[in-house]
Amino acid sequence: MSTADALHTRWTLDAGEHEHVVFLVEGMRCAGCARGIEKAVGGLPGVESVRVNGANARVSVDWRGGAITLPQILDTVSRAGFTPVPLAGSEASRHFQRERRAALKRVGFASLGMMQAMMYLGALYGVSDIDAAMMRLMAVTGMVIVTPVLFYSGAPFLIGAWRDLSQRRVGMDVPVALALLLAWLPSVVNTFRGSGEIYFDSVAMFIFFLSAGRFLEMSVRHRGATAAEALARSLPARVTRLLPDGAREEVAVEALAPGDRFLVPKGAVIAVDARLAPDSAAGTNALLDESLLTGESATVRRADQQLIRGGSLNVGPPLTLIAAASAGNSTLAAIVKLQERAQDEKPRLARAADRAASWFVAVILVLAAVTGALWWSVDPARAFPAVLAVLVVTCPCALSLATPAALAAATTRLARLGILVTRADAIERLAGADTVIMDKTGTLTLPANDIVEIKLLAGTSRDAVLGIAAALERESHHPLAAVFRGHENPDVLAAGIREFEGAGLEGIIAGERWRLGTRAFVAAIAPEGKVVALVRPRADDVTMFLGSEAGLVAALRVGTPLRPGAPQAIAALQAQGLAVIIASGDANAAVQDAARALGVTHAHARLTPYEKIWLLEEQRRHGHRVFAIGDGINDGPVLAAAQVSCAMGEGSAIAQSAADLLLVHEDLSVLPRAVATARRALRVMRQNLGWSLAYNLAAVPAAALGLVSPWLAALGMSLSSLAVVLNARRLAAPGDGS
Amino acid sequence: MSIAYLLVALGLGVFALAVWALFWAIDSGQYEDLEDQGKSILEEEDGSAP
Repeated sequence: MSTADALHTRWTLDAGEHEHVVFLVEGMRCAGCARGIEKAVGGLPGVESVRVNGANARVSVDWRGGAITLPQILDTVSRAGFTPVPLAGSEASRHFQRERRAALKRVGFASLGMMQAMMYLGALYGVSDIDAAMMRLMAVTGMVIVTPVLFYSGAPFLIGAWRDLSQRRVGMDVPVALALLLAWLPSVVNTFRGSGEIYFDSVAMFIFFLSAGRFLEMSVRHRGATAAEALARSLPARVTRLLPDGAREEVAVEALAPGDRFLVPKGAVIAVDARLAPDSAAGTNALLDESLLTGESATVRRADQQLIRGGSLNVGPPLTLIAAASAGNSTLAAIVKLQERAQDEKPRLARAADRAASWFVAVILVLAAVTGALWWSVDPARAFPAVLAVLVVTCPCALSLATPAALAAATTRLARLGILVTRADAIERLAGADTVIMDKTGTLTLPANDIVEIKLLAGTSRDAVLGIAAALERESHHPLAAVFRGHENPDVLAAGIREFEGAGLEGIIAGERWRLGTRAFVAAIAPEGKVVALVRPRADDVTMFLGSEAGLVAALRVGTPLRPGAPQAIAALQAQGLAVIIASGDANAAVQDAARALGVTHAHARLTPYEKIWLLEEQRRHGHRVFAIGDGINDGPVLAAAQVSCAMGEGSAIAQSAADLLLVHEDLSVLPRAVATARRALRVMRQNLGWSLAYNLAAVPAAALGLVSPWLAALGMSLSSLAVVLNARRLAAPGDGS
Repeated sequence: MSIAYLLVALGLGVFALAVWALFWAIDSGQYEDLEDQGKSILEEEDGSAP
């Protein structure tokens, strides 16, 4: 494989005529930088679209294969002043670690420097009667401490501002860098002159608060990326491939093709979807832990020819597997792609805040200039501190943190509830939903048949009935036999089992002849005697009877039971003001039964996927915003068309890729809590945006009038950012009843 | 007066020491995982046991 090809497989997800790549860039700090990359890459021949997400430093590019190569695109990004980094795997996590360590050092150095500078420079605030030589010593000491803080901890702001200015645009770093240099430079001059104001302590404090804010913002961004990261990172980068002649070679996971044989040692994660090789040393069973994929950490057994999903952990003996899909097409890759899509997209509210912030920066610079000019004509001595205060107090950090902080907190909260957010806008749209359209089979009910009800007709216990039924069904391949699996009692064994087509089963247990099947079939050997009022059968249920020559023993109803928690979930959703509608492809009677049991008045049966969409459109025409929940292939279109949608974790891949949310644990009772979380998130976002605007509107006039000293401005700016982040953190806190 | 120069120099020395210690701690990964290390004492040893 050539280097270019290797680079290609490492970076891109799909290949073909239309190429697509997602990667991280180092050094992106603002909306202005994002536009710089968009402009540079968008201008290349053959590039169809470029999306840059400033919030998590991701760039995604679509281009026509052949017109331009990936190295050329990466080269363009580097020339624009940013370092591209591949997304998945160890490279990206090393990048995160590097970024985090560098940011921690900056914050730590700034905080130590700030405390030291304050101690020495406190002497200059005129509290004690010290002589001029001592004051000079203190000022020099302050300069020695703060200058490295400015050029080490403050470097990202200075570099960012320089990059913005050299590309003729104003980013958020421009007023920040301007304030830092305007405070530092005169302080240095005054130190050497031996008279005048010294602002070293304010500089150190401002840098500390700014870099602490950047650190928080970075943690939020990393946390967003780690959900997909955790999946991608757990996959091994290299596997041992077995060649046809029995030799072994170490290859990159990307090089593994379907049909290749590879070894998986005990305790290793299986890299791609695969099947057990017939001659595997482990025999015909593989012991796996699929917790990475399903969240359930029970050990599962996969017999030969069953598909083993990539991302499973081998907890049994070493395995020889045959790859069933390439790394890019495996189950895990599909989940990772869904998560990544959520992170490439930028929510509408965040985009609005970005646009507002870049306007805001321009307005601040004008305001600062006007303030300086006016004060200069009134009282030149006060012009400088006032300009400084305006620049510092209005740092638009709070504004730019307002939405990402709230969304990250809400996403974390939803993940804890067992709901994965796969589209960026989902939270905002979920908050606005007022109508729920739910599928029945597989969504409100379990996807497989189970015993819904047992009516005991004689004195026999429920367990005994199930034991007998399981013994009779043990050998049967009838679909209904599956519901008795797991109820077997080793002491109850049936002999001479005969299967009567369309009627039932007969067998001898403990010398007695038993029958399980239709009523007429069982009644043929059992004396009818007293016929008890039998269970009222539901439309899609099957009623089976169990009896011996001594009489009828039990009636069993088998069907698809409602999911545990479904009635409570529906009641809670209705209590939240959402109208619930059932839209099912099933027979009318079955749907009406479920609707009655759930307290739903609007239920539609026998709907084709098109009719489901039509139902959705009708709701939309009446001004309703629809939240669709489904699991099957036939739900895919309605999930894609709804304002916001949720797919079941066990559901089909089509449903999952069309949905905005993924219900991992299949527990419907978290849906009302998800709606409540989304509504609170929207409220918090609005509070945050409103609060940061109000803060700036109040602070700017005070600073311009010279009422705010530079250190007070630094404090105010950081408290406003802190308020926004803390307000958002309330969302992630569990245990508040919703 | 001259004692003040000595004390300032000493103070800067301690500051430099603190910065060095912080950078060493960050580079050696002391701040990477603030939770699991505390829990590790509650977990079983996973030496050679199968």
